[in-house]
Amino acid sequence: MTAQTIRRVKTPRNYEITAWKWMRYIAFALIPLVWVHVVLQDVFVGVHKIAETEGGAFLYAIERWGNPVWITYDILLLAFAFAHGMNGLRQVALDFIHSASAQRIVSIVIFILWLVVSIIGAHAIIAAALNNLAGAG
Amino acid sequence: MSTFIESLKTTLSGYATYRGREGHLSFLLHRITGLGTLLFLIVHIVDTSWAYTNPELYQHAIELYTTWYFMIGEIALVFCVIFHGVNGLRIAYYDMWKPAGWNIPGQRSSARWTIAVSIVLWLPAAAIMGYRLLHDTLGWI
Repeated sequence: MTAQTIRRVKTPRNYEITAWKWMRYIAFALIPLVWVHVVLQDVFVGVHKIAETEGGAFLYAIERWGNPVWITYDILLLAFAFAHGMNGLRQVALDFIHSASAQRIVSIVIFILWLVVSIIGAHAIIAAALNNLAGAG
Repeated sequence: MSTFIESLKTTLSGYATYRGREGHLSFLLHRITGLGTLLFLIVHIVDTSWAYTNPELYQHAIELYTTWYFMIGEIALVFCVIFHGVNGLRIAYYDMWKPAGWNIPGQRSSARWTIAVSIVLWLPAAAIMGYRLLHDTLGWI
């Protein structure tokens, strides 16, 4: 038997602790979200079938964004996966960059990149969804 | 700048020379698979947005994904996604439900199991995508 010491630590409430907790909460949501997405699009459907969609590959995506379930699904996927990934990139980057000012600059650059790409993705989903809604009505 | 190079060297040489066996390998694989997935994700978000903003460019992007080199990349990407998820679940499980399991023998075996489970989950997907690569892209079978 080895002796075990149980040590309870009160963690301070700061930005890094909160970000770390959300990395994990989001990760739990990402397991079903990403795996179902990958199995469906890469394995069951496959890029070949998407490329050969009648009328153009874009219709494959646009049609999905006429369905409220897939709109919600894709928005959640975009929000969770990309935030998790970019914060992960920040964690890795801060392991390599030790000066406080450089860490700040890198964090800001990653944040801006996250914001811009998220807006690009969200804009397409929401605009297509609204377009579909207007077309159906 | 020189301090930046120094910190870069320190971290990289730590990554390369630390002898943590399975735990070390898991850490490196977790980071590589995560960053690999992120790299694709950035491209994927932008090209998917073209479905609405630029259908012709979207067609071009999707056709690029059917080439043999992107198909190989896709098969690797699916492994990254599976490994990162299984390893993430392993870490979360020990942290939240079995912190006493954070010991060297336990981690060696659980890290091995993680790789084994990831490969088992990946193989059927890789077989299906591999078939499409050989049949649809290359026309060899």
